[in-house]
Amino acid sequence: MQLFSALLIAGLAISAASFIYTLYSIFWNAVKIPEKPYRIKASIGRRAYITIRNVLLQGKLFKERSGGIMHALMFWGFIAFGAYSATFFARGIDPSFQLIPPGEIKNVIFLTVDVFALVVLIDVFYAFLRRWVIKIPRYQGYNGFEAAFILFLIATLMITYYALGILRIDGVSRNIPGAIMESIPSSYTPVTVFFAGLFPKATGPLSVDLYWTLYTIHALDFLIFLVYIPRSKHLHLVAAPLNVILSKDRQPAQLSTIDFDHETRFGATDIRDFSWKDYLDFYSCTECGRCTFNCPAYLTGKTLSPRDIIWDLREVVLAEGPELRSKGMDHKDQILKPVIGDTISETDLWSCTTCMACVEQCPVMIDHVDKIVNMRRSLVLNQGKAPKGTLETYNNMEMYGSPWVADPSTRGDWAKDLGVNILSESGNDDFEILYWVGCVSSYDRRNQEIAKSVVKILQKAGIKFAILGSEEKCTGDPAKRTGNEYLAENLARVNIDTLNKHKVHRVITGCPHCFNSLKNDYSEMGFKAEVIHHTEFINQLISSGKISIAATQNDKEEKFTYHDSCYLGRYNKIYEPPREIIGHVSDNYEEMSMNKSKGLCCGAGGGRLWMDETVGTKISHKRIGMASDINASTVVTACPYCMIMLDDARRVTGLEDKMKLSDISEFVASRLTD
Amino acid sequence: MQYIDGGSVGYNIAVLIKVIPDLEQIKAASGTGQIQIEKVPLRLDILSEHAIEAAVQLKEKYGGKVTGFIFGNNESIPLMKKAYAMGVDEGLVITGYKENNPTLTASVISEKLKSLQFDIIVLGNQSADTYTGLLPGMIASKINARLIGNVLSIEIEGKEVKARKSLEKKIEVVKAQMPVVISVTQETNQPRLPPVMQIMAAGRKTIQSEEYKGQTPSYTLTKSRVAPKSERKKQIFEKPEDGIQAVVRVIKEEAR
Ligand code: SF4
Ligand code: SF4
Repeated sequence: MQLFSALLIAGLAISAASFIYTLYSIFWNAVKIPEKPYRIKASIGRRAYITIRNVLLQGKLFKERSGGIMHALMFWGFIAFGAYSATFFARGIDPSFQLIPPGEIKNVIFLTVDVFALVVLIDVFYAFLRRWVIKIPRYQGYNGFEAAFILFLIATLMITYYALGILRIDGVSRNIPGAIMESIPSSYTPVTVFFAGLFPKATGPLSVDLYWTLYTIHALDFLIFLVYIPRSKHLHLVAAPLNVILSKDRQPAQLSTIDFDHETRFGATDIRDFSWKDYLDFYSCTECGRCTFNCPAYLTGKTLSPRDIIWDLREVVLAEGPELRSKGMDHKDQILKPVIGDTISETDLWSCTTCMACVEQCPVMIDHVDKIVNMRRSLVLNQGKAPKGTLETYNNMEMYGSPWVADPSTRGDWAKDLGVNILSESGNDDFEILYWVGCVSSYDRRNQEIAKSVVKILQKAGIKFAILGSEEKCTGDPAKRTGNEYLAENLARVNIDTLNKHKVHRVITGCPHCFNSLKNDYSEMGFKAEVIHHTEFINQLISSGKISIAATQNDKEEKFTYHDSCYLGRYNKIYEPPREIIGHVSDNYEEMSMNKSKGLCCGAGGGRLWMDETVGTKISHKRIGMASDINASTVVTACPYCMIMLDDARRVTGLEDKMKLSDISEFVASRLTD
Repeated sequence: MQYIDGGSVGYNIAVLIKVIPDLEQIKAASGTGQIQIEKVPLRLDILSEHAIEAAVQLKEKYGGKVTGFIFGNNESIPLMKKAYAMGVDEGLVITGYKENNPTLTASVISEKLKSLQFDIIVLGNQSADTYTGLLPGMIASKINARLIGNVLSIEIEGKEVKARKSLEKKIEVVKAQMPVVISVTQETNQPRLPPVMQIMAAGRKTIQSEEYKGQTPSYTLTKSRVAPKSERKKQIFEKPEDGIQAVVRVIKEEAR
């Protein structure tokens, strides 16, 4: 049997060499081509936690239950099966070698193998059903051959495992040197025993030939798998765990920063303009489509597909990598093919609402939004290109400190008769908390009602607050998310100076976009203050008894639902406070079909509020349709952007008489009791 | 005269830029109606931005150099940076502007233009603050250049400028020999968003300035500057249908 050992060693050597070489070339790309830095902190504890949660326990996969269970079982089955494969090859090379010494531990390990092999087999069948019989939409049209081939390899591996097991039970392999599991009592391989009972007992010389045939198939199958992994989407077996371990501290991660004093190429124009971590993202993608099938743009008929963004970038990297490797990456100024244009269309880049649904869903923690914004930056900062509406907002933000043409001296006018301390007029810094109003609630008539409600609540609770009035400027969010980091940074600096000048330590705001900027972006630029969104603040006021609310007469006939703002929910994980507030007055509450971390965007984020939406259904119409599906009579929101979008959708789709729309502050202000 | 730069031939292009107070932020004092423009931030007149865009596009297409001119005052100087960022190569700010006087502006600027021998001079067909629309014609006559007003698009062949221009009901194609004064409208182009590298480079570039020390004769006397009284009804309709009906009714009544 030395021939077999020799062949096995040769086979293993070839497959391992191929495996390592392919990985080497792929990782060469990731180390040598990208030029953008990726900053991470050590945070060992968090990394350990996230590895256990998202790799070992497959946590993010369960956002979609059936697919998640399927994959997790497959994953655990594979780990268990690793013990079998390792023993198989170790004893194939040296028949006397004992990888795991015989005993109870070994018995239990192989019991696990025996059970999980069946689980994996059933899983393969289920996967087959999902893809080709049930035809789950998100799989359609994506590398069917690759999936089929991999499933075939896995099934063959498991089937040959059981077949070899049956021969073992039948005593065929008892005297064959290097045969494995001979020491395992049959009571520890119940599944194999069950299968053995289905077949007549194998005897005679033919059964030994059968053993070697199965043995060879099993070995070859494994070796082919090894060669195939790094060349297919199964590269994720290697890349995804690394991607999770090396992910950013904060999820969802902040957009990457730009060093305007030193960088000369802004954003992402070609494959150099990413970081090694972006490359790891590309390599980790499994093409599962969870991102795309939660993307509001895709779901309403736009061509944007976050999966395609990642996958197409990966294809470009893998296609251009070999040539760059042969040329060397030393010539910094060489011209590479831009990724925007043929690979990723400008239209798709501008379709993104930066809602984070894709990032939230991605099981391997890929960050699509950072890449999309980086490509927008390339267009805006290097070429001055953006949709017309966006270019206008830039002018306005520069000129008026607001995305609209609005005289900044009138910014605080809505509060003039409300007895509010307007800092730009009073100069009176005697306040505990600053109410950051935001552009929409300052200038838009409908949204001024939100600001007035917040004022009413704060006054009722006896809180000493102030607003900046004409000293407040746009936080820069619409510029930042559309790629104009330069303008966003300038606005941020002006605002931070103003906030520091007034010694602001606590801020509440009604706008989740302002909230996210002040809390997460500004803090990175040196603004240190506690920033609270009004949903949380109001909820605290209610639970601490500073204010109280009661249902009105009409509330009995109302059915409520809550629309999650992306920048409050997915960006800042605030899901419960608004729901708790509604719960204080009514039990007649129902969730829309996509809610909380899966909430469907209103369509306004990422600067989309100021762009035309001409392709497919309007995202806001789809969302209001979901509220109408559950017959909600009042949709509660907590974001002025959502208010604008949904209010418009409500009118245009003829729901105006059937459905009301209320910000959570208005909801509370109109139900205050003494 | 063609501009020669390191052996490459191009055109010597001038763009005339007006700095105005931002009209959106001008307020009338309550009661007196006195217009208050003292604290209003300055900006480039929007038509000047279209003129810059047209000049820079010509440079990019045919080669050459663009020089920007502002007749304003000390506060106008920093605004040349925006013109630089958009692609203007050199700039001169003539300070000493006192008040609206197209004749004087035309002669101050023409003085400069004459000495520098430009092929093409681009400017807005009027400015958003005074709307006289006199400058293109006055300058063309003072420097003895042809005038093509309100152009939609411009092409150059050798020393000849070919422009499409919009008239009330038709589009006319006009040809003229250089030097040519071209006035642009809002339809001519879409002013660009300057790339960041150019914004930063513009910040480091020097801006030349010199003072106009001559007289500013007043041919007209501004007696007062007050906002027109407008009796707005300030009706607000919560429901669009009601609003639309009301507006339609008013229009019908007015038309009668
Ligand atoms: S952020 Fe939202 S809109 Fe943008 S690609 Fe992801 S899911 Fe789609
Ligand atoms: S990016 Fe993530 S969610 Fe999207 S297809 Fe790839 S692995 Fe799946």
